[in-house]
Amino acid sequence: MHLKRVLLLVAIISLVASIGMPAASAAAPYEAYTYDYYGDSSPLPAPYVPDAAITGESLGVGDFKEPSDMFVAPDKSTYILDSGNARIIVLDTEMHVSRVIKTFTNNGKEDGFAAPQGLFVSDKNELYVADTDHGRVVVLSEKGELIRIIDNPKSDILPAEFKFVPLKVTVDAADRVFVISRGVFEGIMQFDDKNNFMGYVGTINVSPSVWQRLWKSLSTKAQKAQMQLFIPTEFSNVDIDSKGFVYATAIDISSDTPIKRLNPSGDDVLKRLGYWAVKGDIRFRMFGNNSGPSKFTDIKVLDGGMYVALDSNRARLFTYNDEGDLLYAFGGRGNQLGVFNTPVAVEKIGDKLAVLDSGKKNIVIFRPTRFGTLVRQATTEHYNGNDDVAVKMWSDVLHLNTNYEIAYLGIGKSLLMQKDNKKAMEYFKLGMSRKNFSVAYKRYRREVLKEQFGTFMTIALTLILAFIAYRIVRLVIRRRAVKHEAGLS
Amino acid sequence: MKQDFLKFPLHLIVRPFDGFWDMKYEGKGKLKVALLILLALILTTILQKQFAGFLVNMVDPRSLNSLDDLEFTILPFLLFCIANWSITTLMEGEGKFKEIVMATGYALLPIVLINLPMTFVSRFMTQEETAFYYLLNSISSLWFIVLLFVGIMTVHQYTPAKTVLTMALTVVAMGFVVFIATLAFSLGSQLYWFIYDVYREIIFRT
Repeated sequence: MHLKRVLLLVAIISLVASIGMPAASAAAPYEAYTYDYYGDSSPLPAPYVPDAAITGESLGVGDFKEPSDMFVAPDKSTYILDSGNARIIVLDTEMHVSRVIKTFTNNGKEDGFAAPQGLFVSDKNELYVADTDHGRVVVLSEKGELIRIIDNPKSDILPAEFKFVPLKVTVDAADRVFVISRGVFEGIMQFDDKNNFMGYVGTINVSPSVWQRLWKSLSTKAQKAQMQLFIPTEFSNVDIDSKGFVYATAIDISSDTPIKRLNPSGDDVLKRLGYWAVKGDIRFRMFGNNSGPSKFTDIKVLDGGMYVALDSNRARLFTYNDEGDLLYAFGGRGNQLGVFNTPVAVEKIGDKLAVLDSGKKNIVIFRPTRFGTLVRQATTEHYNGNDDVAVKMWSDVLHLNTNYEIAYLGIGKSLLMQKDNKKAMEYFKLGMSRKNFSVAYKRYRREVLKEQFGTFMTIALTLILAFIAYRIVRLVIRRRAVKHEAGLS
Repeated sequence: MKQDFLKFPLHLIVRPFDGFWDMKYEGKGKLKVALLILLALILTTILQKQFAGFLVNMVDPRSLNSLDDLEFTILPFLLFCIANWSITTLMEGEGKFKEIVMATGYALLPIVLINLPMTFVSRFMTQEETAFYYLLNSISSLWFIVLLFVGIMTVHQYTPAKTVLTMALTVVAMGFVVFIATLAFSLGSQLYWFIYDVYREIIFRT
């Protein structure tokens, strides 16, 4: 009887305790993951959880209509390009509407936008709008006054009937404008601060496969005319980092390099040192629902060398570090808060992420979890060279997720710096990095050899001496035996 | 004892023409020894997958299965011997089945002798030195192929050209055996399920 009561009490207490527990895992309607060394997706705690959704209604400016782009300016105000309504909504740091830009004065006349697709705010707070259907890029000042208009680019390398249809735009510190234009396969169009067309950067090379070449060489002229052209894919979006490198995404399903980081001369310098290609999902179904490789529609450079790319195919966000390791991927399609319908743009607001969903006509704000914050901070510290600070964070990350290879690598690298080679070896082994393990092992082996050199040489010399002594003794005994047999002794 | 298990196999792998001749005509080979070498090879494979150094061990530890290693060594071995015997019987080969098994078994010795120590040496290698590991492993495989070639040639008293031909045909025959075995297995399982279904139909009738 007594025992029963105790049991009942325990049951009640555990029930109450479970009510009191925060349902942290239930907050995210998606499962975060990364790819491990063997290419399997390994689940992670959610790095971000959805916080709130902002709609045009909730802002009090009427519903968005096909919103196409979003930008968070250096002063933390958010610009939303409401394409269908041909307006730009500017939010202050508290996410309240500070103003709506619908028109601007052009040569004394009222002028507006037509289905604009791209938006950028430079460090000088100048607003660049890719005014797509008008075929121009409009540059407005902070107050909404017209500064300049880039249209009708003239150049020897452009055909006479060239139609300028800007889609996305980004600007570097020297006011050079990078424009992705529809129907332009040569690369990203680059304009100087005087609106002159300077040329293309970041041409995507086409390399037909052996099979395609063989097939083409076997077909007739009429067949060739029917064939799909081997043209490079277009870029889908651009962003720029603080050092002036342009990050560009391309929707190229056959490529392993849909994300590029272009240096000023237009070469791709993205580091791809991770176990897997920087292309979003590396495992996916080939046919049917949810199939095919990731198609990136937006990219945003975060701090600490990280960047997040938005996959419109499966509506996921992929965050990479500067070396091309996938830190985490999350998101998905659906109707709940935190999953998307047609995500078109991703932005960073402080330590939060915001995703603009054209289909749901809203912006979802994601708040980092403890795991996400730790990973981000550790990556940033490592990127800045503060490895000893990073190690503590990586250890905390490992408390939250013991299967996180990048954390093991991070700790291993810093142990290597501190010359703790044996421990570094252990961590590199857990992080599955053979290259780093080899470096640590080489140092460790040299250390051990140096330490043990005396012992080793003593043993070796003793053995050699013993062997020589043995041979001499044997020789003497044999000679004696021979002499004995001969009857000489 | 020492003669059979140590001296003769070691003599054979360095003097294959002489060694295989002695094996066939002087009765120096022992089936027991050949099978022991096969067993040692299985052990080598298992140890290599388990204990080779991290830098050269690309095996996913979750996929380690010693029983798999056992069957994937014994089955190809038997398959080769059976296929080779079938082909050479039709092509005037002089070898008996036992001699084929012995020749194949003895030919495997270099793989055991090189890979087993290399497994442990590999634990003390850096990335740059792993080239030696791969080099020695390739040498052991090449050595095996040469020994197998000489062994089959001597056992059947073939010319080199004919040996190459029978080897190629052996590979084809191995394919046939696998195909027929799969076919038989699939038919057998269908038959089994058919009978099982009939049995279930009967017992569920009330």
